[in-house]
Amino acid sequence: MNLRKGMKAMLKWFEQTDNGRSGVISSRIRLVRNWKEYKFPSKLDERESGEMIHRLEFGLKDLGEELGKRLTFSMLDDLNELDRVGFKERRVINSSIAAKKAPVGILLSENEDTGIVFNGDDHIRIQALKTGLHLEELWEQASGVDDYMNERFPYAFDDRYGYLTAFPTNVGTGMRASVVVHLPMLSQGRKFSSLIGEMGRFGAAVRGVYGEGEDNYGALYEVSNQKTLGQTEREIIDTVTKAAIQLTNQEMQVRKLSLQRRKIEREDEIYKSYGVLKYARRLTSRDAMIFLSQMMAGLEDGLIHTKEEFNVYRLMLGIWPANLQKISDRPLSKEELDMARAEFIREELPELN
Amino acid sequence: MLCEKCKIREANIQYTEVVNGVKKEHHFCAQCAKEMDFGVYAAIFDGEFPLGKLLSGLLGIEDTEKGPDKLQQIACPTCGTGYSDFVKDSRFGCADCYSVFGPLIEDSIKQLQGSLMHTGKTPIFQRMDYDSQGEELTEESSDTNSDKNQLLELDAKLKEALRFEDYETAAVCRDRINELKKGNEGDA
Repeated sequence: MNLRKGMKAMLKWFEQTDNGRSGVISSRIRLVRNWKEYKFPSKLDERESGEMIHRLEFGLKDLGEELGKRLTFSMLDDLNELDRVGFKERRVINSSIAAKKAPVGILLSENEDTGIVFNGDDHIRIQALKTGLHLEELWEQASGVDDYMNERFPYAFDDRYGYLTAFPTNVGTGMRASVVVHLPMLSQGRKFSSLIGEMGRFGAAVRGVYGEGEDNYGALYEVSNQKTLGQTEREIIDTVTKAAIQLTNQEMQVRKLSLQRRKIEREDEIYKSYGVLKYARRLTSRDAMIFLSQMMAGLEDGLIHTKEEFNVYRLMLGIWPANLQKISDRPLSKEELDMARAEFIREELPELN
Repeated sequence: MLCEKCKIREANIQYTEVVNGVKKEHHFCAQCAKEMDFGVYAAIFDGEFPLGKLLSGLLGIEDTEKGPDKLQQIACPTCGTGYSDFVKDSRFGCADCYSVFGPLIEDSIKQLQGSLMHTGKTPIFQRMDYDSQGEELTEESSDTNSDKNQLLELDAKLKEALRFEDYETAAVCRDRINELKKGNEGDA
């Protein structure tokens, strides 16, 4: 088990299992806010950005104690490339922040479930994550952090437009509520795109986590609110929660049908997937995602059983280059990456029962 | 080709609709397209980095109507963001940009967001303002309270008006609310 040394001692949020609802992977609440005193990040020079970040950091030095969490502050610039990309792979930061040249600060809890980014697209970006369907709980948490910050830093707020943000698409609540769901069978159906359109009319956007359409290997989809203005936070949470429940319910119906009609084909696909994951010497991220997705559905449908409890999502997040290079402790070429990926999965995959 | 909706103006926007695998092509003029509901499109917006370009597109349409020259000259005095910068990036440079560009882009924001009125959480300092006023002005507390109630009432009325798209009533409510809030600040 030498590979496990690469994983940090403290479990990350996505390593906790939540078996609450089949098909739901994780929930996320993100709030963006701006400090009244400064122009938005795109208009700040290097000195102003640095000054603002340090004032924010200083003002929040006791936040960890308040939350009962150990928070660590770092400047994105000071991190090495691997940690930076790793943050992006684990969705602590988004790609626009990861690519940003100007100074960016980040205050992060040890298990990475709570993170505040300073001077990203907006001055303040609060994010709370949890496995399973828990938007309501995450909103309470994020809102608490929001209040704590607001006691120290007056926000740019307008009676009409609400919280003012750099992009007009975030204005109002500044909130994005999202749920990652796993829809391997539903997404293959012909009606899937019109179903997504239907969700759009509800106010819920559905997007592939790792690409659009056929390219979204692994069939993970993110459901989130389209609009941020004119709805309360609770209404937004309600919309997104309902959409996530509806999509996963439909997925489960299709799966139930497949168990009645073509159980043997499904079993065959799942055991083959396990075989490849368990014995392959090289795996591309595309293949790894496809087979892990099969495993995930197989475990949920009770078609395959592992000796130990097995969190498939943890592996789905672990097979990307930055994490594999961190485990290997050196830069890897594309072929070496495929080998390291196969090795990582082999080590982590439990025996069958 | 003429616009299929008004059948008067030249169509310069092509819109392809795919419903249940059936592809349909539509041709509209800029004016009619602007009045259409773009809500369904919103599904393609990326959560973190949303629709920037779509907003630019919507604003671009308006450009041709109002005459680009005049709009080009508008810039935010606080951060220097010009109207053309804004159209290009769909990004505000500071909080004041909202009052500078707000009137110009109201329609577009309405199309994007489906609303022009925030109804969610409000900052803590604003809540505290109301509370402390209530405590400090004990003698006038009944007055402040009735003001506060009036505010709430007006707010409800405003939302109702907005729901029925009765913008005249809404504007009156909004002005009255602002007046009341100003009055409160003066007292405190």
